[in-house]
Amino acid sequence: MNGQARALIESMPNDIGTEAVGPLSFDEAFTLHHRAVFRTARAVVRDSALAEDVTQEVFLRLYRNLNSTPGEELLRAWLLRVTLNVARNTLRGQSRSMVRDNEYHKSTAETGFFAEAPEEDYERRVAIEEARRALDKIKEPMRSCLLLKQQGLSYREIATSLSLKETNIGSLVARGRKEFARVYGKIGGKRDAVSG
Amino acid sequence: MTRCLDEVKLQCYFDGELSIEMMESVTSHLASCATCAAAARELEEESALLTAAFAAEFEESVPTERLRQRIDEAVLGERLATARSSAKTGFFAGLLNFGTQRTLGYASLAVVLAFAAIFAVVKMRSTHDTPEPIASTTPEQQPANREIAKAPSIIEPVNPAPVNISTPVRTTESTPTYRPAKFIASSAPKPVPVKLLPGERSYLQTIARLDSTIKSNKGMRPALQVEYERNLAVVDRYIAATRSAAKSNPNDPDAADFMFAAYQSKVDLLNTIADARLGGGPRH
Repeated sequence: MNGQARALIESMPNDIGTEAVGPLSFDEAFTLHHRAVFRTARAVVRDSALAEDVTQEVFLRLYRNLNSTPGEELLRAWLLRVTLNVARNTLRGQSRSMVRDNEYHKSTAETGFFAEAPEEDYERRVAIEEARRALDKIKEPMRSCLLLKQQGLSYREIATSLSLKETNIGSLVARGRKEFARVYGKIGGKRDAVSG
Repeated sequence: MTRCLDEVKLQCYFDGELSIEMMESVTSHLASCATCAAAARELEEESALLTAAFAAEFEESVPTERLRQRIDEAVLGERLATARSSAKTGFFAGLLNFGTQRTLGYASLAVVLAFAAIFAVVKMRSTHDTPEPIASTTPEQQPANREIAKAPSIIEPVNPAPVNISTPVRTTESTPTYRPAKFIASSAPKPVPVKLLPGERSYLQTIARLDSTIKSNKGMRPALQVEYERNLAVVDRYIAATRSAAKSNPNDPDAADFMFAAYQSKVDLLNTIADARLGGGPRH
């Protein structure tokens, strides 16, 4: 945990501190947050198999640090910050591979996961790819702000996850949103979004 | 009429990040200012676009079951690794941790042993006319110096009591036990002829009790069951190998220690499984 996050937690009144909120058990933390962790990881690494690796690593780190992680209120922010770090480190060691992702989906479809009609799958893959291409055009930290905002994180959680000032998040989200709309419209995603 | 709203305040308004007073103020302003109302509509449209764009990404299924299984296995592996490493560090730290006092202790012990060995050799040569020196009592063992340094028959001339391994059966405590000090104590100054069976029996009893505890608690998760059985098979092979080595080298204390370490690994594994099951998962 960096200084800013620690300062944030220490600045809280005692009644909402880590101990007062009561730490979640490992199982509860998994149940509540594994989707956000997996989706954030997948949005960064663009590969479902890699996202599983990242999710596993994130929860393993949670397990190792159960006694030092923040309370329930900021646990999701902590998990997503670890997720972003692990995912970026993973990306550095891997080349992005749609091929591998497609193979993963093929294998999971064979085993019953995500089984869909081929046309629906194709359209969905295109929609995901367009959104990802647009997101790639957004500079950091606006990109991560948008990603976390879409996951439903509060400004405070986003600030904790990205080690930013909470007062700057509104501005970053607003700029990121305008930029995304501009780029996504150029790519053609706007047409789909409006019609859909 | 209040001042017009900037982009950030509008964003915060739609994200629900303003105070109640500020929210009310923005709402009333939007009702009376056409420019800000248009900006708000544009912001809403762009937000909807963003949500729609991410919908496909976020609506994609999350493989909860597989993640749960992978993480359970990873956590179990972590716990086993921790148990093993703590056992190893406990064993080797005792051997390799040379603090100042300990170094002095070892040095003085070595001096005493050296004098005792010299004295014993001289005495044996003068009283008996035996052609066999101490170092050659166990000629098959390679480290002859160690045999002299230990000089077991001088410090404790009688074969001491067999190893009394009383590993308690703990089904609810989280940290598996390991008793390296006992191994060191038993292996260092003692000749080892018949200590295998008593030690083994104690371990086997402990293992049987732990095993029955685990079996009596039904409903093990399949992932845990698979991992458990896999690890158990590995440990059993380890035990079998070290046991045959110990049997074929009854005078080698290291062989016995390896066998006991293998048994201890199994006790650790069973303890971990019992903890995981009784505790309902990895909790702190």
